[in-house]
Amino acid sequence: MKKGYLFLAVLLLFSFLMSGCNKGNKSPTTNSGEIQKEQKVVLKLGIWPEDTLTNDVQMFEKWKQQFEAKYPNVEVVPDHYQYSLDTFVPMAEAGKLPTIFETWFTEPQKLIAGGFVKDITSELQQKGWDKLMNPSIKDLLSKDGKIYGVPRDGYALGLYLNLDLFEKAGLMNPDGTAKYPKTWDELAQVAKIIKDKTGRAGFCLLAKDNAAGWHFTQIAWDFGAKFEIQQDGKWVANLNSPEVIAAMNFVKDLKWKYNVLTDDPLSEDWASGFQAIGTGRAAMYLGAQDAVNQPTQVNGLPVDKLSIVPVPAGPKGQYSLMGGTPYMFSANASSEEIMAALNFLEMIGKAPVVTDESIAGLREDAKNRVENGVPVIPGFPAWIDPNYLKTLDDVIKEYSNVNMALYNDYYNWIKKEGVLRPEEPVLTQDLYAELTKVIQAVITDKNADVNKLLDNANNNFQDLLDRNVNK
Amino acid sequence: MNSFNKVLNKSTKMLTKRDIAGLIIMLPSLVLFSFFVWVPLLESVHLSFYIAHGMRFIKFVGLENYATIFKDPDFMAALLNTFSYTLWSLVIGFFVPIIMAIILNEIIHFKGFFRVGIYLPNVIPGLAVAMMWRFIFKPSDTGMLNIILKNFGIQPQVWLADPKLTIPLIVVTMTWRGAGATTLLYLAGLQGIDPELYEAAAIDGANIWKRIWHITVPNIYNLARTLLILQIIAVFQVLYEPLVMTNGGPNNASISLMQLVYKYAFEKFDYPKASAVSVVISLFLIFFTFLYNKIIREKEM
Repeated sequence: MKKGYLFLAVLLLFSFLMSGCNKGNKSPTTNSGEIQKEQKVVLKLGIWPEDTLTNDVQMFEKWKQQFEAKYPNVEVVPDHYQYSLDTFVPMAEAGKLPTIFETWFTEPQKLIAGGFVKDITSELQQKGWDKLMNPSIKDLLSKDGKIYGVPRDGYALGLYLNLDLFEKAGLMNPDGTAKYPKTWDELAQVAKIIKDKTGRAGFCLLAKDNAAGWHFTQIAWDFGAKFEIQQDGKWVANLNSPEVIAAMNFVKDLKWKYNVLTDDPLSEDWASGFQAIGTGRAAMYLGAQDAVNQPTQVNGLPVDKLSIVPVPAGPKGQYSLMGGTPYMFSANASSEEIMAALNFLEMIGKAPVVTDESIAGLREDAKNRVENGVPVIPGFPAWIDPNYLKTLDDVIKEYSNVNMALYNDYYNWIKKEGVLRPEEPVLTQDLYAELTKVIQAVITDKNADVNKLLDNANNNFQDLLDRNVNK
Repeated sequence: MNSFNKVLNKSTKMLTKRDIAGLIIMLPSLVLFSFFVWVPLLESVHLSFYIAHGMRFIKFVGLENYATIFKDPDFMAALLNTFSYTLWSLVIGFFVPIIMAIILNEIIHFKGFFRVGIYLPNVIPGLAVAMMWRFIFKPSDTGMLNIILKNFGIQPQVWLADPKLTIPLIVVTMTWRGAGATTLLYLAGLQGIDPELYEAAAIDGANIWKRIWHITVPNIYNLARTLLILQIIAVFQVLYEPLVMTNGGPNNASISLMQLVYKYAFEKFDYPKASAVSVVISLFLIFFTFLYNKIIREKEM
């Protein structure tokens, strides 16, 4: 009896150890499998929509069939992956990342530095796409001249309006457009009118996480701020310039002088801002055209109650912060798998290539938007191929479901020379973190000393620059 | 001498035989423990001396990561806040379970009902509790607590948005959720006290306070001591309450050391620095435990 137990225990132990060994041996075998080229190419699509979005899944199923018919050596495997900070590294380290996945515009440089994503320069060159990418977006996805991603689309910040609240506050023009603020001072006034007449917040200011600093750079640029300056090859923090102080004082006034912010800016982040617009908690919010499904499809705002207008001008200019949402590729992906992924993007109309399939892909996408009550409006040109842009335009006109007058000012504005401005280049997230803390301080403390807070933020950020960049 | 050796030999021989059986019985848990606890723990210390990409070791850098985290603009705030959490949790949270247990022990009717009621907040997932309290503490006149207070003519407060109140309020929510479990432990301790002691004291004319002071307190003293150190260890690692309720704000007023770990690991993917902060946290805790044991031992001597 006793021996039997011992035997069992030893057996268990061995099986445990053996299974451990097996795991260790696994990766070399798969690697050698990749070397044999005859093998079928497996394309794991992380951009596959999640199960609950049934319409989108159907659309992808159709694309999968088409794609496999056209490229019989490729097997498309749905592998939905929603990028998130807590799952990414374990997945990447375990080699479980899908071939292609979508990430956030904040992430590329971090992922490149960590060696998690594949350099796809040669594949892009083969396709000729490297020359068609919008240069500022290409910079965001590149390091040392190598390109690591493909833009899904670009974005440029504008001002989202909830027209329902504008109507209630009597701020509409006869033609159905809103009397929106043209300058930041006007924004404060308009926000005050809305707050007085409707009781809802005039403006949704973010103060929860780094997105707060991100939006603040947009505001401060209009006041003439320049947060990072390069001098003799060194980066110098410039967070306490008179321009930044002016912008921070404006934010402070929004809270203490005009009192037009939402109840708890400290709990507002990127998504809750769109929720505020979608549900009528706030009338104005900084947002880009690529998030247009957020207030509508996600938060239920009727498609005709949304308008996007230019960001208000400040005393020193009127800029639009721009960037791009990237597709990136697993570091373990083979060249064949990358090519398959790029071909798939081509088919769904996310690449600078115009074919019958890609037009069909764009149509499908637009139709899907119409069905889900998402405004079909032009994207932001992530590619600069004129032929592609024209096709895109045609499809959007065909499926248009909104009054473009509500959006034209915004689109005409971002086409102007010198309006678009990429994010501050180095340690961007750390810059945002420092600014966010100051914003939190000034909206929670009426007597906050803006100059002192910004001096402190400047010192902190200079320290970070010296330790990480100016080495 | 000879016979002594004989005995020794015999006993070692017997022990080895038994040792083997014992070790084999222990092996599965030893393996599991080392796989899930000890190895990751040591690896984490190991990692803190390196530069890494993801979890791949790249270069040995000695104490550089430690130097970097000490200079982090958020480190000082996080360290002081963590002490502040611990202190407030002792002020607010330590006596609550003891008092609740004593009251509960005196209750005659509906004892089971109250016992369950006190434990219920513990059953709710911690994140849900944090979110719920954030909702309750919402500033301006749409917050739940403010709506209630309005009925008594009290002006809306900003609650968590007031840097001075943030930590105490978070500690209140932690106490609300955690006190029940501790109360049950104390209650078990109280019920282990011989009722004859109380009877004898009552006959001798001791009032309720005297009975508590001379009988109850000495009897749960050892338990309270253990729970005190456990509470300090737990609160020192506070993470999700500030993460969810305030995200460390306003202006770092509630950021904790563990949140700094979280930031390094999951926002910057810089695992070595996250490990370095963790090691610092554990060093603090080891030091406290050591200090506490020393004080207690001196007191007992």
